[in-house]
Amino acid sequence: MTIPSEKTMETSPPQQPYFYHLESASITELDDRAEKFLSALTAILRNSNYHFLIELYAKTSAKCGRCAESCQVYQTSKDLRDIPCYRTNLLLDVYKQYFSSNGQLLNRLVPGNSLSNEKIDEMAELFYRCTACRRCTLDCPLGIDHGLLAHFGRYVLSEAGIAPKGLVVSVREQLEGTTGNTSAIPLPALLDNIEFLQEELQDMTGKLVDFPVDQEGAEYIFFPAVSDYLMEADTLMGNAAALQAAGISWTIGSKYYDGINYGLFYNDWALERIIQKLLEEAHRLKAKKILIGECGHAARSARQFVPTFANGRSLPVVSILEVTEQAAREGKLRLKKDQVTERVTYHDPCNIARSGWIVNQPRQLLRSFVNDFVEMRPNGRENYCCGGGGGLVSLDEIYDFRMKVAGKTKAEQIQKTEAQIVATPCANCKKQLRELVDHYKLPVQIVGVHDLVLRAIQL
Amino acid sequence: MPTWMTLAKGPAFLFVLTVLTLGLLRLIFLTTWDIILAIRSAGDRRLPYRQIAIQTVSWLLPLNRLHRNRAGYSLASFSLHVGILVVSLFLRNHIDILNANTGIAWIAISKPILDALTLVGIFGISALLLFRLYVYGSRQLSKFADYLLLLLLLNIFLSGFLAGRPWNPIPYDGLMLFHTLNGMVLALLIPFTKIAHCVLFPLIRLGTEVAWHFKPQGGSETVKTLHGPEGRKI
Repeated sequence: MTIPSEKTMETSPPQQPYFYHLESASITELDDRAEKFLSALTAILRNSNYHFLIELYAKTSAKCGRCAESCQVYQTSKDLRDIPCYRTNLLLDVYKQYFSSNGQLLNRLVPGNSLSNEKIDEMAELFYRCTACRRCTLDCPLGIDHGLLAHFGRYVLSEAGIAPKGLVVSVREQLEGTTGNTSAIPLPALLDNIEFLQEELQDMTGKLVDFPVDQEGAEYIFFPAVSDYLMEADTLMGNAAALQAAGISWTIGSKYYDGINYGLFYNDWALERIIQKLLEEAHRLKAKKILIGECGHAARSARQFVPTFANGRSLPVVSILEVTEQAAREGKLRLKKDQVTERVTYHDPCNIARSGWIVNQPRQLLRSFVNDFVEMRPNGRENYCCGGGGGLVSLDEIYDFRMKVAGKTKAEQIQKTEAQIVATPCANCKKQLRELVDHYKLPVQIVGVHDLVLRAIQL
Repeated sequence: MPTWMTLAKGPAFLFVLTVLTLGLLRLIFLTTWDIILAIRSAGDRRLPYRQIAIQTVSWLLPLNRLHRNRAGYSLASFSLHVGILVVSLFLRNHIDILNANTGIAWIAISKPILDALTLVGIFGISALLLFRLYVYGSRQLSKFADYLLLLLLLNIFLSGFLAGRPWNPIPYDGLMLFHTLNGMVLALLIPFTKIAHCVLFPLIRLGTEVAWHFKPQGGSETVKTLHGPEGRKI
């Protein structure tokens, strides 16, 4: 992080103070960031369920450093500041200083030791050097969840006006923009896209595969990562083909069709509002269940927070991977075994593996039609993050960090498998992994799980 | 010297025991109450209690996790904890002091076993000190208090072990007073330092899970607090 000195600031135009882009803030505009941070922290502690946990962590954190061994960012950078409990303690120290009785007493006895802007800058950088993969939680003897604290720290920062432009702009369009989705796809363009996908599928399979829109009373209302409509045609065609083959009734909602929830990465207010939009559309169309496409954080945020924010109107949340795997297991989905001949490996998105419930389903599905399936080591709940987790993949300005630090371990893991295809059911992981294989010149293709299902499916 | 020891084993011990007990009970009560309040205000009150219990218990005996990383550190930490808990709670002399002051007593473990566990504890404390001193990451993370607590523990274990040896070169009474005072200081620090994890440990994983169960409207209430009823745009 480079923060210009006072002298530099006199002669240079204001620069971005953080290693990611803020939307509008120059250093001058953010002059009172320490004060704003404390106000935001106070307000959040008052209105949320975080307070007791911060108090509990502050009382028990032993800083043993065991988490360092499981953090791929630290293992690559060897930068002390990347050790999860170093980062966590920045926040806990602020809490102890301003919110504990000992700290308040000390502040009175030794005035002048106030929170500095530089400390805020350090937190602002470090909370976004964390991929929020929560691998460190596997190794903390005390059970401290550094991922939760990274989430909390980002939330406080965002309410103080410090959040990456890439996340804020997307969420603004989703919640306050005219298109109502993170990729700013207007409804006519979506409908055109759906028509194109139907035609493509018909050309490929000779069968008409429907992408139903606004069908009331369907079993499932489908929310993929909306970017899939632009970037992942094969994934979406695989989704539709699998659902049709399984005889499942489903629909896309025309009023809201985005599964992405970047609130999970940085702001609880946004998180709740996005969940409300999902629920509103599901209830408008009288769907019985919410079906999330191939997207790790979308599946986790919906599964974890629909019951939280539903206010008595909750619906079950299911991942497309569960549905397809079940259909294949029950024989409703026939998958040809001679279509995927390459060596395939599977990357677990952290949000649905370590923080979720999807570990075995995609493996069982892939093993049922892929002849040469190999595992990365470690995998499943102990997997390594792709390096773009926690929303980092949306920040193009930190490309170098994502490639050379956060994603290096994953690139090495992929290389060791000697696989020709990496299948992963997550839009964000796919983007990061594609950039990684380009950067490290790995002879690997990155696809969604349903891209392979599409190749093998018999309609 | 015996007068000092009488004082230390009598009124001073009672004072320390009272502070320790009330301090820990206060921590347990407040934390449990906070967790209950958080569950009550959560939008989704379903919690995987069984899974949390299994996770918590599995970390009480972390030997099955040695393969993951820092096996030496884990072994040292486990040795320290076993040493502290067993020796402090089951040494005949300790139980006698407790009994004399409160009338409470329980079975003691034989001295040769406790001598061995004391050595295990000394190994654990020394190894953890060395880890903090020589492992770059741990050294950078450590603060003065982290070393102080380990040194305090080492004092207690070494002085206790030496006092029971026939070849102990240090005058017995002085050594015992040193041992007792260090023990009392440590006991007084427990409710106010990170050693409080000795009672809060079972609540940490539960608390973490509860904290992921957010309070509905918490975000919008925060925005109102910060920006007034008008709120703000994203």
